[in-house]
Amino acid sequence: MNEILVWVIKTGFIFGGLVGTAAAMSLAERKFSAWMQYRIGPNRVGPWGLLQPIADGVKFMFKEELIPDGANKWVFQLAPLLAAMPAMMTIAVIPFAGRVELFGQDFGNLSITDLDIGALYVLAIGGLAIYGVILGGWASNSKYSLLGGLRASAQMISYELSLILTILAVIAMTGDLDLRAIVEAQNTGGVWNVLEWNIWYQPLGFMLFVVATFAETNRHPFDFAECEPELVGGFHTEYSAMRFALFFIGEYCAMTVMACLTVTLFLGGPSVPFWAAAPWFVGFAAFLVKAGFFLFLFIWVRWTLPRFRFDQLMHLGWKVFLPLSLLNLLATGVAILFRGGA
Amino acid sequence: MANALFYILSVGAILAAAGVIASRNPVMSVLSLLGSFFCIAVIYLLAGFQFLAAIQILVYAGAIMVLFLFVVMLLNLGDPEGEAAREPMFHHGRRAFLAMGTSVAILVAGLVAVLNTSFPAIDPAVAETGNDPVGQLAIAMFGRYSLPFEAASVLLLATTVGIMVLAKRQRTPRTQGERA
Repeated sequence: MNEILVWVIKTGFIFGGLVGTAAAMSLAERKFSAWMQYRIGPNRVGPWGLLQPIADGVKFMFKEELIPDGANKWVFQLAPLLAAMPAMMTIAVIPFAGRVELFGQDFGNLSITDLDIGALYVLAIGGLAIYGVILGGWASNSKYSLLGGLRASAQMISYELSLILTILAVIAMTGDLDLRAIVEAQNTGGVWNVLEWNIWYQPLGFMLFVVATFAETNRHPFDFAECEPELVGGFHTEYSAMRFALFFIGEYCAMTVMACLTVTLFLGGPSVPFWAAAPWFVGFAAFLVKAGFFLFLFIWVRWTLPRFRFDQLMHLGWKVFLPLSLLNLLATGVAILFRGGA
Repeated sequence: MANALFYILSVGAILAAAGVIASRNPVMSVLSLLGSFFCIAVIYLLAGFQFLAAIQILVYAGAIMVLFLFVVMLLNLGDPEGEAAREPMFHHGRRAFLAMGTSVAILVAGLVAVLNTSFPAIDPAVAETGNDPVGQLAIAMFGRYSLPFEAASVLLLATTVGIMVLAKRQRTPRTQGERA
């Protein structure tokens, strides 16, 4: 089959899935929060309010867009794109499932591409999300936006270190930077393939990683970028219409990618428990279930826990998380050494 | 295709680099530098150096430029188009000339060094399938070249300390003057 056509189909499928998930998350966030607070939530647009994201999208598109007088127009318009793009780019290397065969056609592995340096690619591109936040805050020419942007970027820098160090421990265990190889090392066949998942070998790393993803995506309880009582809306205070929506799409996409990454690194990706040779669609379904849990966790935590204080966040990041993740890496290294190579 | 891309990216990198010094707004300078780094990262990719490209973006774009942006924004909270913009670019004639002369001299020296070095041609097949380039890089960096590697980090540390000393010395009298 034509290689370019396969690529186009796969890219459309995965990218469409990502944006669709982001839209669904905006509804899920409101629905779950409503249930947790004994409310009903959106229920007017379509059955159970299912068409709410589409209505929101149409509304955002037709709203008037305001650009503040003192804003740096060029950067102001660029920032939301920079915020949304990195998450959409990193989804490209997530291995969703194995070899896909459909209608007698071989589509190759279900991921847009398998890079040799997949893990590094995710870190490098994912680290750029910070520019959207910091530039959006600066270009708005507003105190609240600037402070929100500075806070968010300080937080992202602090927790990115822990995030990278925990990923490094997994990479050291596998001995490969390719996410596909990391997934395959967690499912080498046999009934007890659950026990090969990295979560059993990296329990501390797993916990650090999950908490760091919350900070990295500026989610509750670490959402200082948008402390309502102190900073109004944070870095996107001055944004309106579609550019405002882009920040949110970016945030939900980043959450989706982080959930996928957690599953890939620690929960065996598309590995199905007790069924090592499962067909690709079962593996894909398993992946979606696992990733869905972490997406739910994002919402669950947001509507359960109160927000930290900023100095507590910095304290946690630099004095607890960084030493712990370094320790985790060191322990992993020692374990590899004693087991005789990775 | 690859050749055309290389020339486009090279022009982009040079234009962005020119934008760094031409722009009056320091934030725009930082953004230009970022653009230049990206062009160079893609050039690395074209040459088959995936790891180098990823590190280029991870370290320069993801870490160092964020720090630059931080500093620029914190120092420049007021009007970015204010006093600095009204000052002519070559206000300090002799000093500007000295700085430019030094830069040009370094550039020429670098060009001479590059043109006089014969680089081993890389077989594209080896570059693509070379077994574990990351491992080889690590062994080279922490094995044979560990001393230069450490020396570079000491140099960076010394630079940091030096900048702190210089910045402190320049700022103290000014703040005292403002207070008085």
